[in-house]
This record gives sequence, C-alpha cells and structure tokens, in this order.
Amino acid sequence: MSPLCLLHDVGAPSLGVGGSWCKHWAPPSPVQGRAEGSGRNMPRLPAAAGRAASPAPPQLPDEPVSLQAAPGGLFRLRPGDPFSGPATVVWLAVLALGFALVCEPHENLLLAESTLRRLARRLLGALRLLGPGAEALLRAGHAEALLDRLLPHGQLLFLGEAAAQALEREAPAKALR
Amino acid sequence: MFTAAAEGLLKQAREIPEEELGRFVSHVAALLQGRDAGAEAVDCLQRLHLVVAATKYPRTLDGKFVELLQTVLCSPKYPEQVQVLCAAILREMSPCNELILSCDDVQDTKLLSLISSILLAQGDKKAEVSAVAQRVVKVLEGRLPEGQSFRHILPVLSNVISISPVSLAEEQINVVSKKMVDWLRYASTQQGVPQPSGGFFSNPRARQPGPVTEVDGAIATDFFTVLSLAQHYTEDQWLNMQAFSMLRKWLLCYGGEGLSTPNSDDRSEMDGSVISMVSTTSTSSHLLPPKERLREKAFEYCQRLIEQSNRRALKKADGELQKACLIEAVTILDIICKQDSSYVYRTLSSLKILHSRISGDVAFARALLPLAQFFLNHSETAAVDSDAVYKHLFTEIPAQLFHNPSLAFEFIQFCKDNSQLFTDTSSIFRQSFPNLFKFLAWNSPSLISEFVDLLPFLLDAGTAIEIFHLLLDLPCLTAALDIQLSTSCMPSARSTSLSASEKAACDPAVKPATCLEAFRHPLYKSMFQYLLRVEAAPEDSPERLIPLRQLLGSLASSPRVVQCAETVPVLLELFFSVVAEFADKPLINQLVLLVLQRSDQLYETSAFKDDVYRVLSSQLLTLCKLHPALLVELSKELLEFLASVNNIRNKEALFTHMVWAIGEYMSVSYDKRCTVEQINRFFEALEATLFEITQLRPLASIPNYAPRVITVLMTTLTKLASRSQDLIPRVSLFLSKMRMFVQSPAVTSVYCEEDREEILNRATELMNLLKMPSVAQFVFTPPVDVATTAFQRDANESLPFALRIVSRLLEGGAGFMPG
Repeated sequence: MSPLCLLHDVGAPSLGVGGSWCKHWAPPSPVQGRAEGSGRNMPRLPAAAGRAASPAPPQLPDEPVSLQAAPGGLFRLRPGDPFSGPATVVWLAVLALGFALVCEPHENLLLAESTLRRLARRLLGALRLLGPGAEALLRAGHAEALLDRLLPHGQLLFLGEAAAQALEREAPAKALR
Repeated sequence: MFTAAAEGLLKQAREIPEEELGRFVSHVAALLQGRDAGAEAVDCLQRLHLVVAATKYPRTLDGKFVELLQTVLCSPKYPEQVQVLCAAILREMSPCNELILSCDDVQDTKLLSLISSILLAQGDKKAEVSAVAQRVVKVLEGRLPEGQSFRHILPVLSNVISISPVSLAEEQINVVSKKMVDWLRYASTQQGVPQPSGGFFSNPRARQPGPVTEVDGAIATDFFTVLSLAQHYTEDQWLNMQAFSMLRKWLLCYGGEGLSTPNSDDRSEMDGSVISMVSTTSTSSHLLPPKERLREKAFEYCQRLIEQSNRRALKKADGELQKACLIEAVTILDIICKQDSSYVYRTLSSLKILHSRISGDVAFARALLPLAQFFLNHSETAAVDSDAVYKHLFTEIPAQLFHNPSLAFEFIQFCKDNSQLFTDTSSIFRQSFPNLFKFLAWNSPSLISEFVDLLPFLLDAGTAIEIFHLLLDLPCLTAALDIQLSTSCMPSARSTSLSASEKAACDPAVKPATCLEAFRHPLYKSMFQYLLRVEAAPEDSPERLIPLRQLLGSLASSPRVVQCAETVPVLLELFFSVVAEFADKPLINQLVLLVLQRSDQLYETSAFKDDVYRVLSSQLLTLCKLHPALLVELSKELLEFLASVNNIRNKEALFTHMVWAIGEYMSVSYDKRCTVEQINRFFEALEATLFEITQLRPLASIPNYAPRVITVLMTTLTKLASRSQDLIPRVSLFLSKMRMFVQSPAVTSVYCEEDREEILNRATELMNLLKMPSVAQFVFTPPVDVATTAFQRDANESLPFALRIVSRLLEGGAGFMPG
C-alpha cells in the first residue's frame, strides 16, 4: 500500500505521509495536528498548517533546510478515529507545511521522528515543495521512489547516516525534468 | 505548495469532467501501447495520478485501461519509473474490482514488491494477504537469481504481519526465523564493494574494502549491526538492518507461545514465560528449534547494541540512531524475557549497569522509560529492588525535561500503560503527581486527552483536595515553568559583583520588578518552590500563593498559558465526576467550602475565570444533590457568601446556583436539622440581598444584574416561605413591589422589555402560588419519594409548568377546563 497520499486541506496544503501501518486501506486523514479528546472543545495544537502561512511566498533557502529546530510533536489517535486501531501520530512543521507519520502502537517513536525529519528534508528537495508553481503535485513518482527507499512498505528502518547516503547513491539517476 | 498555482491545479484535477478524463486516459493508453513510453508518458501518468489521488471519492477509470496498467506493470520492457507510477495509480484506486494481478510465479523481487503493495491494499477480500505471504516466503526460501535482492520483499513480510499474522503457517515462520538468525548474527563484517562504474579506466581490484567500523571510527569489534558503518553495504548487511527493523514485531507475533498480534497487550505473554528446557548456551544453540534460536540471537544482538551505544558517535545522526537503538534493544530484551524467563538474570545485570550509565545524561532520558518498564516487569522474578530507578524517573525527569514534548508524551503513555501502579496511595508513583502535571502544563494540547484518561487513577480521598488546587492553579504552573526555564537558560553569575537586578532579587524590602527577579526573591522563592514541587504536599493555607498568582498574571497572554487555561475546565468537570463516586460527606463539605474560597483566588484572566465559574457552579449543584445536608452543616459560611453583593457582581453563576440550591435542598425533608430558625436565617439573608439589588435610589443608576439573579432570588424566597409559613406575608409584600420596580424609569433604561416582563410574570406567578400555601408547599417541597418521578426531576420544566397551571386556576381562565 502506498504510504503517501497527496492531501489538500482547507487551511493550508499539507503533505500527509502515512506509513508503517496498513490494517485496511484507508486514506490517511488530513492530519493537521488536532488533539483528539473527550469530544468537548479541545484546544488545538499550534498546528503549522494554517498558522504560519504568510501572504508572500517564502524565499527558497540557499542551504538545505535545517529541521532540527522545526516544531514537532506526538499525539495519539483513538481507535475508530479515523483508523480502526489506536495510532500515534508524529508530526513536523516546516514553514507552513505539515508532515505527519502515523505509527502503530508498538513502533519506535524516536526512530519515527528521525525518519520523518529525514523524509521531510528529502521531500522538500525532491518535490521542490518550497518553490513557486505547482511542480510538487506532479512529482508523485519521485515521492514514491523516496518513500520506497526510506520507508519501504511503511517499515521504519534503523538507518545511520552512512546507510542513508548509500541508499541515495544507489538510486538510479533520473533525468530531472 | 502554498501558491495559487498549486491550488488551481488541484482544483482542476478534482473537477475534471468525465469526458475530458476519458480522452486523457485514451491518450495515455496510446502512449503506453506505443513503442516510446518516455518522458511524455511519465508526465501524463503523473497527472493521472494526481487526478486519481485528489478526489475524495474514487474515480473509476475505464476497465480496459486498468488492465493495461497492470500489463505495463508486469512487463519488463517498460522503464522503472513508468512501472512505479502505474503501481501508484492502481494503489490510489484501491480497492479495485478489475484487478487481475497475481503474485503467483512472480520471480522478480522488485516486481513482487510492487504487486504486493497493490494486493495488500485491496482489503483482503479474496485472501490476497495470504497469497502474498505465501509467495514472499517461497521466494525467500529459494535461491536468489542474479541481480535480485531480498531487500525489496522483506518489508512486504513485515506489512503482512501487521495486517494478518495468521497468514503464515508454522513451517513458514520457522523458515523465516532461520533466515533472520543468519542475517542478524552472521552478516559480513567487511564493507561492500562499490558497483563497478564500468568505464575504461575502472579497475575492479583497485580498492579493497576494509572492515566495517563503529560509530566512533574504531574498527568493528564484533558482528555487524545497524550501528556498524560502511561506505558501501553488502546484501546481507542490508538484510541485517531490515531484519532488526522488523524484529520487535516478529517476536511480538511469533516469539511467544501461540500466536499474537503485534498490538495485543504484552501482558498476555506473561503466561508464556516457561523456563526453556533446552540449554541456551551459545555453543549448543544450533540445536535449538528456530524460535528459540532466533530468541538467542536477538538477545546477543541487543546486548551488542547496548555496548555500541556507549561509544561517542562522530556524526549527529548516528548519535540519534544510537538512542533509538538503545530504546529498541531494551524493549526487545523485555519481550524476550517475558517469553522466556531464563533470560531475566542475564539481562538484569547488564541493564542495571546501563541504567547507572545513562541516568545522569539527559540526552538518553527517553531510554529510561523502557528500562523502567523492564524493571517493573521483571524485578520481582529476580527478587531485585528497583525502587531507586522509579524514584529517579518520577522525581528527576519530569522536573528537568517537562519541555521536551516527545518525552512528555511517552512518559504519560508509560503512566497509562502502568496505571495499576497508581492505585497504591503511598507509592512513589502516586506521590509524584505534581511532577506529572508539569508535562500537562507545558504541553497541554497534545497531552490533554491522555490526562483525561490518567486523572481518575491519581484521584482518591487523600489526593483530591491537593489536585483540586493544582487544577485551578495549572496556568500558574505553566507561567512558573516558563520563568524557571528562562532563569536556567541565563548565564550563571559571571563576576563577583552582582548586577542590580540580582541585588534586588536578594533584598526582601525591594519589590521585584520582573517575574525573573521574583524567582529568586526571598518573599516569592518559597511560593515558587511550592508550585514547582516534585512530590505531593498538601497545603493548609492556599491563600499563601495569592501574591504569586498576581505576579504571574503578567504572563497571562502567553500562548502556552492560554492553551493550558483552556484545558482546566475539562479536567475540573472530570475531577468532580470522579470524586462524586467516592467522596464521603466530610470531603464534600470541604470541597464546597474550597469552591467558595478559591472563587476569589483564581488566576486573573477573564476567560479563564468565566469558564471555571461555569464549571464550578454546576458542580456545586451536583455536590449539593449528593449531600443536601451540607447546606445546614455549612450554613455559617454560606450565609457569609450570600450576604456579599460583590459575589453577585463578580461570580454571578456561582451565586445564582448557590441560591437555587438553597431553595431546592434547604428543607426538613432533606435534613432533620433544618429548623424553622435555619430557614428564617437564610430567608433574611436572601431578602436583604434582593432588597439591596432592587432598591431604587433616586439619582443613582441601577447596576446591571442579570434578570436571572432577581428571579432566582424571588423563587428561592418563595420556596423558603412555603416551608416556614410565617414568612409568607413578607414575601408577598416584596413581590407586590416588583411591579413598581419594573416600571420605574431607572430600570426601564437598564433592562429590556422581555426581561422586565419575565421578572414581572415570575413575581405574579409566585404571588399567586403563595395565595394557596398548601399547594405552594407541595410544589416547592415535594416529599422525597415524589421528587424522584421523572416529572419532578426535570427541574427546568416542572416548576414553571406548575406555576403556570396555578396562575391559570387562580385567574379562572375561561376555556381552561375541557368541555
């Protein structure tokens, strides 16, 4: 199953990356970092999607975007809302984009966080997410290839920096359009 | 992504009409069927993928086209990029009825991986999961053709286990277990050879790969693991990494007695901890059955990871990996020990050493949780006392690391997973609840729902009062933590001469100018210390914190404080609903008094106060209902509360609910001690208050009390009068004056027409009722058993209804009687 689902949400576009679970096929919900709870008026997460969107398009950074200081966190989804079993969501915010990784209860959350950061960094580059224009929407092939390398079939991988770079080198050089 | 162009494209993709889509699909089909499936085909497939993915409800593409996609996928003559996109489109459309794909007889591992990903997305209606599982294991069993790799299909297996662990039969489990043993324990320790670039000048013998290294650069001392570094990796080394990545899941499913799902409660494995009859020493381990052998190798792997995590990584990412590996290793060791308790002794000693190594290092704090879990699960088996571990975890970690959102989340999950530990009041777990609330105070949005689950375990008769105060002061805690964090970030005293602000902080006579100064100021220091305490410590005089609360008011607009304040009403409601289940009468009395007392001592933000009053007032009623006699027992304090008109102005909800409760429950049918004198005392207090708020002073403006205050006071006075009938004339006289009140110019300018009419109507109805005292008595004080019929219980409906009927009767309404 594809862990990638290109989603468009009401507030601001967010790229939902659902991985490492697949009880049934269900499109990952547009995760905008909302804390689930007792159904009362729950306070909203300081979700990146929507809050930080500035009217002017952001400058494309010259150096690779550093995600170490990017806001992120964890929260839990209860069974049935929206997935059939309980899940933990790892999220990361980069400027006005939100990335989310949906984990099963027994998965290693620290690994999920570093995987998400690595994925986000690569996706920002490969999909040109911060550029003007709509290119990102038409690069599903690149996203698929990236996910297949770093999160094959939704499996979190224990990869050091050297291993991740070795994987990158293996990827056949595709002619960039 | 934020641009209008992207929005426009997405809209286009969603709204593309069927006809146009059909034409586009035919065009793509033609491209694919033609010889040249190059860049244009790729581009079109990307667009098609967007169309299929962008709509919420699945698009149905032409059946023939879907077949074509599957053919393209399986045909080797198409470039990989095209195949990947076809697979992506087929997945987006899943579940799909026109699927003819099958993984039987597929030899190519990359293709098998793509096909499996599609089949596993079909919802397992035609046993696709089982078919995929069978095929994958078959391929893993066999010999790998040249140029192929198992790396593509091992993750498929991992996926299969998550969906349906029963898809694998025992022999297949054994086959895979054996392979995993080889991959985990016997992978090559030499670095891989780079793929030959194949140029004229390349010399395959030029570079001999060296051995793999550790994360600190040293040559590897033992077998290959995920923490071994190389420039290029061999096939078996990649499989080593993948096998470890799925090891936890595998052991959870297949490592114990019988089958489990990876997400089932780990505690079900406790029964499976039969001491293995087969020797588990390494020398004879090749005689072990596959499951036990894998367990042994997994044990060795984890021990090696623990040793490797002690090295100082040269790269930051490797350091992060070390921590993740440590957590994983400890968790897997925990699982192994649950499945075979003979491992406990071997594991315990190394984990104790590990604990003493990392307990002082905040960078490794997250690993302390699985460690503590291990000790909780297995200390008893080994008759080892691990209290020091728990004490360190609960007293030090929250205080130091409350601001780490991931640790906060995992810590609270740990508490929830071990909630039975909190039932013992004297235990270190229960006693450290003030520390636990620091996580919530700092990370409210993500942790509020977790705390809703956890709070009931923390509450009992011994902790209720302290937790009540804590909840009301939660935003103060957030502000205090903010200050604590700021002060710890400040550089420590640089020179011998103190700066002016530091001098001010030490001088008790000088008031601190900022919160930061106050932190060290002798007057405020102990208050801060109390608020930031790590253990439960009931406070006898909560008004001690008033100056601190006022000081912290300057941080009331900080987003974190605001978010925390929003969670308090939710928790307060939960608090009362849990306490209602076990509270005895003295505790209820204490809580009512505290509600009244704390209503003056709340953190000063208007939204927060309003929300808290709203919750407290409705909960006050609940408490009165549980223990109506409290009105008599606390009559002195209640009278004081009712006498102050300020209470109406500042805490209207609280006041009106209190008055209503008095009207409802102050009666001899609820408490024999409710004498006529008691009723008269309350009557007089309420009458005085009503008089004060309705008296018309010439040339003075009427303060704008909500009409509800007036009507509730009138109704309660009437109710009391119906029980002590000497008071009836006084009430009637008062009510008769309401017409004058309502029609006076001062009042017409302040209240709207509807409100004045409402007040007047209610006064008239009450007066009419009092003309028939025995009816009034019945209506207002029904005998307790009658009061439990559905009609009576609905307080909102029954009284106004009764009043209206009586009024109609008195006015001799024509046509009221049938016939």
